Amino acid sequence: MTFRDTLDLAVRNLGQAKLRTSLTTMGVSIGIASLAGMVSLGVGLQDQFVGRFTKSGMFDAINVLPGADQPGFIMGGRGRGQFGRRGFGRSGAAAQAPENAREVTDDALKDLAALDRVKEVYPNVRVPVEVKYGGDSEFMAAAGVPMSARGEGAFQSIPYGRFFANESENACLLSLEFARRINDRSPGSLVGQELTLHYAAASASTMPSAASPAATVQQAEIKCPIVGIVERETGPFSAGGVSGLMIPLPKAKAIFASSIATAQALMRDPTKTSRPYMSAVVRVRSPRSTQDVEEQIKKMGFAAYSLNDALQGAKRAFIILDIVLSLIGSIALAVSALGIVNTMVMSILERTREIGIMKAIGGSDGDVRRIFLIEASAIGCLGGIGGVALGWAVGRAINFGANIYIQQQGGAPGNLFSLPFWLIGGAIGFSIVISLVAGSYPAARAARLDPIQALRHD
Amino acid sequence: MATLLETRGLKRHYRMGASIVRALDSVSLTVEEGEFLALLGTSGSGKSTLLNLIAGLDRATEGTLRVFDRDLAQMSSAELSLHRRKSVGIIFQSFNLVSTMTAAQNVALAMMFADVPRGERDARASALLESVGLAGRQRHRPRELSGGEQQRVAIARALSNNPHLLLADEPTGNLDSRTSQEILALLTQLNERDGKTIIMVTHDPALADRHAHRTVTLLDGQILSEHAGARQ
Repeated sequence: MTFRDTLDLAVRNLGQAKLRTSLTTMGVSIGIASLAGMVSLGVGLQDQFVGRFTKSGMFDAINVLPGADQPGFIMGGRGRGQFGRRGFGRSGAAAQAPENAREVTDDALKDLAALDRVKEVYPNVRVPVEVKYGGDSEFMAAAGVPMSARGEGAFQSIPYGRFFANESENACLLSLEFARRINDRSPGSLVGQELTLHYAAASASTMPSAASPAATVQQAEIKCPIVGIVERETGPFSAGGVSGLMIPLPKAKAIFASSIATAQALMRDPTKTSRPYMSAVVRVRSPRSTQDVEEQIKKMGFAAYSLNDALQGAKRAFIILDIVLSLIGSIALAVSALGIVNTMVMSILERTREIGIMKAIGGSDGDVRRIFLIEASAIGCLGGIGGVALGWAVGRAINFGANIYIQQQGGAPGNLFSLPFWLIGGAIGFSIVISLVAGSYPAARAARLDPIQALRHD
Repeated sequence: MATLLETRGLKRHYRMGASIVRALDSVSLTVEEGEFLALLGTSGSGKSTLLNLIAGLDRATEGTLRVFDRDLAQMSSAELSLHRRKSVGIIFQSFNLVSTMTAAQNVALAMMFADVPRGERDARASALLESVGLAGRQRHRPRELSGGEQQRVAIARALSNNPHLLLADEPTGNLDSRTSQEILALLTQLNERDGKTIIMVTHDPALADRHAHRTVTLLDGQILSEHAGARQ
């Protein structure tokens, strides 16, 4: 018997009991919808949380600090999930510094850049400046941003203006928050206007030397056009650190090098030729290498931390969440699988005589088994398609409602339910497999029927 | 004439609680090709049991049963289904048509199991129904057909895979006498014109005498007597 004939016969048989077939199929649909909906919720939530972090480029970044500086994050922060935007206190810095502790100097940056699998190294440079705009002025830290940060992290979306054109451009970016402090009504209109940055510089003639230990202070001034406004402030793991004012990294380095603070630091320690940075960011080629490179950096005498550990934990949590959600969803599917068994057993009871006839005119046990298995899988296939559609519709409805609530609470709307193609295909495939499993017992029973007994059946 | 079927000491015993029912007890019988054989006997004589064994619907407890020189006792269940599909055509007292299928579909179903392509199947089903006098009744379902018409559909179905051997189990048991005559005339025609070997179970001695070459009478699972029929 060809597959086509078996399929035709099975579909015909299902059509003979339309009500029962459609009720069973509906049961499977509900089961699949609940399972697909739950997995879809898990995937959607994961996309919302982990996905957003991963795309931010934060997981290929390692923050490097001087070896004497043990960040509190390592000591107490990890595992408690308290990695808020500014959640990395240094309260635990009482730990002992390693013996080979190094500082984050320009030489150190070169060593770090020479490591395997490292894509890029740049210092976190934040220079204190006085920002003048209109009649107001404000003291704040200007963060140096490398060109490679374009399109990443906080720079993923630039609602007004653009990113720096090149690293020597005399330009600055503002956070939306800061821009609103200047012009609450239309922060976007600030693009193209100019800020004046003032900072205390050591005069060129008095740059540090053993001979002249005293440095004279002079006011330096930079006029800086605003080229863009970013939505949020940069996070602790992205280029430049947290700041409302961002300038190209080389510019920040220049200000850093010529600042009076640098002159004073070099004066205190004449053995140094340049002032070490507070910290640096090491970017690796792939988030997979983060762990290894982080270990290497620690061995070199630095303190280092990354969000990778937090990501691993979060991923594990989401896997557990997915499993729990799938199990809940599976309950309905298990019930509908029993529905299939019930329908098939009923159907076989009703069609016992027909099975006897088929066997008497030459149908083999295998033919009979295949007819019933295909009937079961047809129910599964239809139920799977219906289930995905139902799951999608319910998901959209819940999503719609939830987003209204989220927006009322001031959150950003997003897709709580994600229905990727693998889930659609997987759900339908799984539905067919479940139906085959559920149908295998009734099908085997039908195949085993004794033709003479079956023909006597009414 | 060549021997088509041969049984030697064929037994079929059932266990019924503590006792054993000897439905068929040491039957030895030979059927020649082209023969029309009637199996006569009262209810419980074992005639239907013998027919079921020949059809490959049941298995013997003991003895040999050779059809076309192949021993049915040695066959696997898949081989038995092939035997039912290709070598024999079975006609029942209660017609045994699939009630949800049309006459043509019932006939085509047997060919479906034999992997006959769809187009050929439909054409042959149509031709067979015409040959048993049911042209124009092909799209009717069994309940829209009279008993005689239903039995004609069953005969067309039995012929669909062109078997040499037709097995008829009380084919006129549910029919009135006029319709019975028509059905028996059809079977006789198949035997005479097409050379089909026919084994027919009946409890009516007159009927057996009139149509069969030979009548074998069974009693309590054993052959009681054997005599030539009117057509001999």
